[in-house]
Amino acid sequence: MKPDGKLKLVSELLDLPLLDSEGKYCGIVDDVELVGGAGKDLELKALLVGPGAYAGRLPRLAMWLAEKIAGNRITRVPIDRIRSISGSVQLDRPGDELGLHRSEKAAGKWIPRRGAL
Amino acid sequence: MNPLELTLGIMTAVGGFVDISELVFAAKAGSAFGYALIWVFAFSTIGIIVFSEMSGRVAAVAKQPVFNLMRHRLGLKLGLVTLAASIISNLITCAAEIGGVALVLNYLTGWPYLLMAVAMTALLIASIWVLPFKWIERAYGLLGLFMITFVVALVAIHPPWDKIAGGFIPQVPHGLSTKELLTFGYFMVAIVSAVMFPYEVYFYSSGGIEEEWGPKDIMTNRMTAILGMGLGSLLAIAILSNSAQLFSGINVDPEIPGSAALEAAIPFGKWGLVLALLGMFFAIAGAAVETCMANAYSIAQFFGWMWGRHKKPWEAPRFTMTWIVLFLAALGIVLTGVDVMMLVEFAVLFSILVLPLTYLPLLLLSGDKDYMREYVNGPVAKGLGWLYFAIITAAALAALPLFFLTSGGNG
Repeated sequence: MKPDGKLKLVSELLDLPLLDSEGKYCGIVDDVELVGGAGKDLELKALLVGPGAYAGRLPRLAMWLAEKIAGNRITRVPIDRIRSISGSVQLDRPGDELGLHRSEKAAGKWIPRRGAL
Repeated sequence: MNPLELTLGIMTAVGGFVDISELVFAAKAGSAFGYALIWVFAFSTIGIIVFSEMSGRVAAVAKQPVFNLMRHRLGLKLGLVTLAASIISNLITCAAEIGGVALVLNYLTGWPYLLMAVAMTALLIASIWVLPFKWIERAYGLLGLFMITFVVALVAIHPPWDKIAGGFIPQVPHGLSTKELLTFGYFMVAIVSAVMFPYEVYFYSSGGIEEEWGPKDIMTNRMTAILGMGLGSLLAIAILSNSAQLFSGINVDPEIPGSAALEAAIPFGKWGLVLALLGMFFAIAGAAVETCMANAYSIAQFFGWMWGRHKKPWEAPRFTMTWIVLFLAALGIVLTGVDVMMLVEFAVLFSILVLPLTYLPLLLLSGDKDYMREYVNGPVAKGLGWLYFAIITAAALAALPLFFLTSGGNG
């Protein structure tokens, strides 16, 4: 499926893993941003990534717990950054450029860079 | 298919098959019911072969780990429930393995059990940090082949082979009281759970991605699952048969892992005991690594983090932090002083409760033509998959009542 093709269902995109142009995992499609309204075309504008995007998909108590554990950060990936969609969503830019590796980098500060074969 | 790689893969699967729960329940089953529960081991082994083959095939064809696909298939809410259940089950199991390996070290050295648990956890963390995936898998799996000592010990004590062969036929012993029948039922459920622990499938499929399996590896996957796990199961059956032959008639209840090691000491003396303990040490340590890594794989895959031990630890930092924290959490459980055998009971009980939840998505994924194309489940995989799913669901429903009615299999 190509991003300019017809998306039959938003559910085909939801919960797919994201791979950046370097083949690195950089999150999951946690929600999508749609624009439009009554009498207008509904258009997919962006993918939303991060625990903040769980709102509306989880019961209130579960969402409160998720925020306490993981925060409420959301990263927005414009739809034209998608190269292709299959079992994963391939992006056409490195995750760094799209702000998708921030948590990974923050965690990386705690990990010593030595000793592994 | 590289024959050397295939042979190593199969040997690794054999050596890595037995864990603390299988060890304990095989020895107890033989002591309590003679050879009558061998068929449950054989039957459950077919089940774990079916689901492992499916998970390896999904990894090879869809090139996506099971938990990525599971979340897409189940959605966020049900996916989170599955993840939470899997984390709890694997964490308890990992704690049981760390406790088990600490006990074995305690037998070997005489040093304090809790100190051994701390030292062993540090050693396991260091080994995963230093070694890449293939080495981790091979080192623990191949060294676990010391467990063959139990097979050699069985041959040495000249058991009644006709009775062992008869044990492969599904049966319930005659003349059992109601209480004994319930205990037999509890052992059946516990053995199904111990053989079909969900971590084995998650570790196996993630390992397939770590080793970059593709459709060309479908046959390797099938052979490794069938021969590796099939032969591995014979180790558990040897422990059960030794126990039936040596302990059954004299009312010895091999409650702790050290009793199982005596099975090798009786025919071979001190060296048999040492070899059996070494086999148990590496097999249980390998299972501790697998349970912890399976948990970290599941979490990282569910949230789309970078993961895998084919990368350096600092190249997948959240994944690295996760497996270290999980090891420490499992050690924390052990340090509360909870009895290892109680952890084994809880691991088996909780795993069987969540088994249907963890295997259903795999069954659906491997049967989905969109993901699997021409590698979708054939009639045999489909039929066996649904049959075993029905059985583990029935076992899950029966587990809690049987646990309470039999005081955890103690009558």
